[in-house]
Amino acid sequence: MEQLIDNLALGFGTALSLKNLALCFLGCMVGTLIGVLPGVGPIATIAMLLPITFGIDPTGALIMLAGIYYGAQYGGSTTAILVNIPGEATSVVTVLDGHQMARQGRAGVALGIAAIGSFIAGCVATVVIAALGEPLTKLAMLFGPAEYFSLMVMGLVFAVVLARGSLPKAIAMIVLGLLLSTVGTDLETGQERLTFGVAELSDGVDFAVLAMGIFGFAEIIRNLENPEARDVVRGKIGPLLPSWADFKQSIAPIARGTGLGAILGILPGNGAVLGPFASYTLEKKIAKDPSRFGRGAIEGVAGPEAANNAGAQTAFIPLLTLGIPPNAVMALMVGAMTIHGIIPGPQVVTKNPQLFWGMIASMWIGNLMLLIINLPLVGLWVRLLKVPYSLLYPAILLFCCIGIYSINNSTSDVLFTAFFGLVGYALIKFGYEPAPLLLGFVLGKLMEEKLRQALILSRGSFMTFVERPVSAGLLLVAAVMLAIALLPSIRKSRDEVFTE
Amino acid sequence: MSQSSQPGEESASKRGTQDIAAGLFLLAVAASAVFHALELPLGSLRAMGPGMLPMSLAVLLGALGIGVLVIGLLQPGDPFEKWSFRGLAFVLGSIIVFALTVRLFGLIVAGPLSMIIAGMADPQTNWKHTLIFAVILTAFSILLFKVALRLPIPIINFM
Repeated sequence: MEQLIDNLALGFGTALSLKNLALCFLGCMVGTLIGVLPGVGPIATIAMLLPITFGIDPTGALIMLAGIYYGAQYGGSTTAILVNIPGEATSVVTVLDGHQMARQGRAGVALGIAAIGSFIAGCVATVVIAALGEPLTKLAMLFGPAEYFSLMVMGLVFAVVLARGSLPKAIAMIVLGLLLSTVGTDLETGQERLTFGVAELSDGVDFAVLAMGIFGFAEIIRNLENPEARDVVRGKIGPLLPSWADFKQSIAPIARGTGLGAILGILPGNGAVLGPFASYTLEKKIAKDPSRFGRGAIEGVAGPEAANNAGAQTAFIPLLTLGIPPNAVMALMVGAMTIHGIIPGPQVVTKNPQLFWGMIASMWIGNLMLLIINLPLVGLWVRLLKVPYSLLYPAILLFCCIGIYSINNSTSDVLFTAFFGLVGYALIKFGYEPAPLLLGFVLGKLMEEKLRQALILSRGSFMTFVERPVSAGLLLVAAVMLAIALLPSIRKSRDEVFTE
Repeated sequence: MSQSSQPGEESASKRGTQDIAAGLFLLAVAASAVFHALELPLGSLRAMGPGMLPMSLAVLLGALGIGVLVIGLLQPGDPFEKWSFRGLAFVLGSIIVFALTVRLFGLIVAGPLSMIIAGMADPQTNWKHTLIFAVILTAFSILLFKVALRLPIPIINFM
């Protein structure tokens, strides 16, 4: 306990330096901006801004990038409430009741409770990260290659289970991602693999290039196809502070949402996305009068908003303690860390305590800043929403091009993103969801390394993965999850959760 | 990342043409990967060669492709969606033009040029606004990326 306080003191000392405060604010500001704008996600933004962080020290860089990520969660709800379209994938559920509240002239209250719920969740999640950080790193130190491999298998299985649509298609995306990760020079033998004779591919596919193409560019083409009707709430936003009755009604959903989101966020395989859905379903189930949901129930805003913010933050736990990114944004964080010569994993907390605890402390500070950025400045974001997409996307394209070019000063990287944009668009058209692909790609290299190591140690026997108890346990969890997902009754309700 | 598509909107067509196409796509990718992995030594489980993983993953991908294809042939599913070639051509075109011109002429040409080409992708583009915005944004990115961040991106370059 005393150590925790010492650590947090170190963290706040780092995060409260003038420069880091400024970077945190900048990150939160940019995050809110892209969160508010539909069609611009944190993945494309962070990929775009990676080169900007070259000149900053790693701690500052990660503080800023983290701010973009959780800032986007706040911003996404503003759009969901005011415009009836989710600004981010995680605010899909907020649309249901948030926009109804706005229609009833309670937009301000919805925005207020969303921000307050997010803030409470953010504070709790920060404490959870701080408390779990050290024990989990100690645990990770005990992990051998077999355990690491099994843990990543479990993460990929979660990603499959959580993906929308048909299971074979989700598995196919994971496998395609893994296959893409093998492109490039083999680490052990130096042999070129699947480069198709292209010299630029000998270093493999750059993650930022793949992510930008498949998520950024393909989404733009997709958005242009179905022109959205933005129906910004015209009436008054109304008072921002919820009344005491509103608050009393929301506090329990916020607490439950925070718990659900925090737990799901820790899971490898992008559990954070599921948080808001789970929270909404739970609130509706236990409500005295479920018919209120979908007609402006404040619990339907408070719970999911808390859940998405808690999940966004606890998603940092697998990255910081195990070095395993649970989703695509965290994978970009890995990229940002390696650019600065830091190898993510359990050694970060001992080797770079300032970075580790500074980042955690900055999250709490960032949450406080976001409360200020979001509530009083809401008028600014409303005006921003009136910028038409036809003006916005050429600007996004240009910034993406400059960003990708600057990572390696390479025009071929830019051409590759165009190629992956085409691939991403094709995948959407074929009904594939690209998120599992990205996760497979991210974990691929590490998995291959650990698999080879484990098999060398076991002299070629796959039994090592089931003979070692921890590894066997992880694989068992994965198998059970997959089996449950395959059960027809669960499959049906899973589809309901995603279509609701 | 904001995907708000609703699956199964127009389902219940006779065959899942989308799945058929999706399966064929996977098969094509898997086939080309298998073909290129053939030349790599597989090694043994005790000491895996460079070809082991690509080959097994490619074969697995092919099997999944067949699975998706069979599902499409047997079960009713979503129809194959129309592609928007206008968006595809101009968005990707603008990226490619940026890549080809940024070294040759510098950002001062590549910036506005790629934004104008991108603008053609959307029929709702207001050209006056887009042109003004292209100039302002190029100036802004020169200030941000070159002056403030000192990234080595070419600004003006006429051979």
